[in-house]
Amino acid sequence: MPEIVNIRGLQKKFGKFQALNDVTFTVNAGEVVGFIGPNGAGKSTTIRILLGIIKRDAGIAEIFGKDVWKESLEIHKRISYVPGDVTLWGSLTGGEIIDLFLKLHGRGNQQKRDYLIKRFELDPKKKAKGYSKGNRQKTGLIAALAADSDLYIFDEPTSGLDPLMESIFQEEVEKLKAAGKSILLSSHILSEVERLADRVAIIRQGEIVESGSLEELRHLTRSNVTLATEGDVAVMAALNGVYDFEQKDNQATFSVDHNQLNVILREASKLGVKKFESVPPTLEDLFMRHYEG
Amino acid sequence: MEEKFARWNTLFLIYLKRDWKKMIVWILGLGLFSSAYVPAFQEISKGKGLMGMYETLQNPAMIAMVGPTPVETAGEYTLGALYSHEMLLFCGLFAMVITVLHVVSHTRKEENLGLTEIVRSFQVGRQANSLATLVEVVFINILLALFISGVMISFEADTITVEGSILFGASIGMAGIIGAGIALVMSQLMPASSGATGAALGIIGLLYIIRAGTDISNVDLSMLNPMGWTYLTYPFTGNNWVPLMITLIFSVIMMAVAFALEGSRDMGAGYLHEREGRERAGKSLLSVQGLFIRLNKGVMISWLIAFIVMGAAYGSIYGDMQTFLESSEIVQQMLTHSGASIEESFTGTIMMVMIGLVSILPIVLVNKLFTEESHSHLNQLYATRVTRSRLYWTSIGLAVSTGLVGILLAAGSLGGTAISAMGDQSMMGMIDFLAAGFNFLPSVLFFTGMAALTLGWAPKWGKVVYIYLAYSFLLNYFGGILDLPEWFAKTAIQSWIPRLPLENFNTLVFVAITVISIALMIIGYLGYQRRDLVEGA
Repeated sequence: MPEIVNIRGLQKKFGKFQALNDVTFTVNAGEVVGFIGPNGAGKSTTIRILLGIIKRDAGIAEIFGKDVWKESLEIHKRISYVPGDVTLWGSLTGGEIIDLFLKLHGRGNQQKRDYLIKRFELDPKKKAKGYSKGNRQKTGLIAALAADSDLYIFDEPTSGLDPLMESIFQEEVEKLKAAGKSILLSSHILSEVERLADRVAIIRQGEIVESGSLEELRHLTRSNVTLATEGDVAVMAALNGVYDFEQKDNQATFSVDHNQLNVILREASKLGVKKFESVPPTLEDLFMRHYEG
Repeated sequence: MEEKFARWNTLFLIYLKRDWKKMIVWILGLGLFSSAYVPAFQEISKGKGLMGMYETLQNPAMIAMVGPTPVETAGEYTLGALYSHEMLLFCGLFAMVITVLHVVSHTRKEENLGLTEIVRSFQVGRQANSLATLVEVVFINILLALFISGVMISFEADTITVEGSILFGASIGMAGIIGAGIALVMSQLMPASSGATGAALGIIGLLYIIRAGTDISNVDLSMLNPMGWTYLTYPFTGNNWVPLMITLIFSVIMMAVAFALEGSRDMGAGYLHEREGRERAGKSLLSVQGLFIRLNKGVMISWLIAFIVMGAAYGSIYGDMQTFLESSEIVQQMLTHSGASIEESFTGTIMMVMIGLVSILPIVLVNKLFTEESHSHLNQLYATRVTRSRLYWTSIGLAVSTGLVGILLAAGSLGGTAISAMGDQSMMGMIDFLAAGFNFLPSVLFFTGMAALTLGWAPKWGKVVYIYLAYSFLLNYFGGILDLPEWFAKTAIQSWIPRLPLENFNTLVFVAITVISIALMIIGYLGYQRRDLVEGA
């Protein structure tokens, strides 16, 4: 599978502050990669380096196999970008700004523009200074989504949008995905990433601490189990690979290492299982595990 | 009452706390500007100076600019008469404009920014903010008036009487209060804060132009004009307090109207609604050039108009040049050179002054690119096919072209008015004026180049270029009086350029400075190409 985005050992310092220490991940063709991490971890810095807005100190950063700093123009012909905080010229209308962005992009699609304006319920005749945060964000999104690109970079794209608009955005991203486009989606909203992303990369203090498909990541961690038995469920607490054990009457909830699942099931069956539920970890669980530990 | 104005006094105190620095600059700056020129005017009025100035200021073009005087013969024209004649209208105008900006920024602007929303969620009256702002600006303008009067009295100059000084200061303070009334009413009517500022300043501009007409045709009509009430008090001559009484009544009415209007409007909305804009962008917007022109349109048009007005103002003096120059030794020293006609030597100096001012606009345009960058407006543009080179050179290109147009308009308007003012006696043709103007083109390019250099390598230092411009401007302006050593004078870029039509055109200097300026732009480009772009920081 050809790599659309290729980042290896990326480093960036601002003065004395080491913003990026060692960022490594890839986005393959036709793939949606979720890029998650808390504020200040280096998500936006990484994206700005990818866009050629700031220059890296060390490491490799390529899009379409081209260097993001030296060949930014070639790259920019085929990408679209939405920042997390879209700022607009107050004296221009939303419609004018979208047209301008599409023109400067070069591969804007007028029908898609009109369709998206309707879909996102944006008033294109209003001057941008009168727009709320959500409407500014919509303007940026429409301009990006209406352009025909091969890679879409979204930096917390839905901040300020209501849940309805958020889900419209997600539907539009799914359409792009179905059309074989690649997407780098940086987001706080983990449910959004969970719904859309094939793979995730988790960044913390300028380093990628985890990356892989959600399936793989889940495997590395524990599932949450609810178990009710006829016998005394308390004996389960002593088993290897059982954590956070809590008991109420003869029902217990605990988390369990996947490689211990077999042993635990065997022990549970000795007690006479009345109820067994296993829930795979949510992305939020994964995320929290990395940041609490 | 409680529902409307509760806790306005708390807001007022907060404003004083927030604004004290601004207040000091405002009162000291405008106050000294209005009052501290007394010694300079004493200098000018020595000998036959007063008579000369009287003749000069009788010119209709001058009346249109500075207003009339009640004095009917040159003999009765005193220092006080000259001072209030020349200064009062402009100082009042400044007081009005600053007050307008301040009032809108504390009322509608705070609404737009969402600050009012938070304040109103507390136990604060609906109109407490407007009242607090109003009390604050009245307070500031009273302090300003007292300060001006005090400074003027302290000079103890002949004919600068105590009563006149107090009236002079009060007229300027009242001008500010008129501005507050206009601004507050416009803040209720217009759909957003920028519209309120624009409309209020527009009204002031209109009143100024109308009074220019009525001052020339029939001064009595100027009494119907709020702008007229400021200078028709005639301090030091007529000492007429009546206009200030009218102003007081007018301001109270305006403020009452404003409060009534505000009482029945929604927060954040004006009585006039925002006009619908275009749904689709026009063709002229759809390029980097188009965008930059659109973003800078207001600034460019207002500066270019200012250049024309400035050229016309100086040009109108040419008719009475002789009288004007005989009025003062300082003026003579500054403006004349031996062995040339007065008109020619005046042209040489005044062109240096005007082109110095023309240089401001290109610097503004180059710095604008960094403003856009730091406001994150260009975020999404960076991710398109638009290169840095395109952004940079479009800005530079726009700056250089407006520099050229600026010189053309300033020199052309100076020449046009001068030639018509001189009539048959004119020794100079339009081509001489244009040549004298474009002779200074390298200096404009040089300032543009400096701005470009900082944009590329140290964009936060962009303002330093203005300081260098001000420095070299003052050095040249006062150079004639101060008799500076050659090397020191040459630290100003314009000093290298000969003064046409007095001296001969120097091709070498012209080409050399032009080449250096272009080199600065290229070096700036290399930096711009390389550096991290600031974004939202």
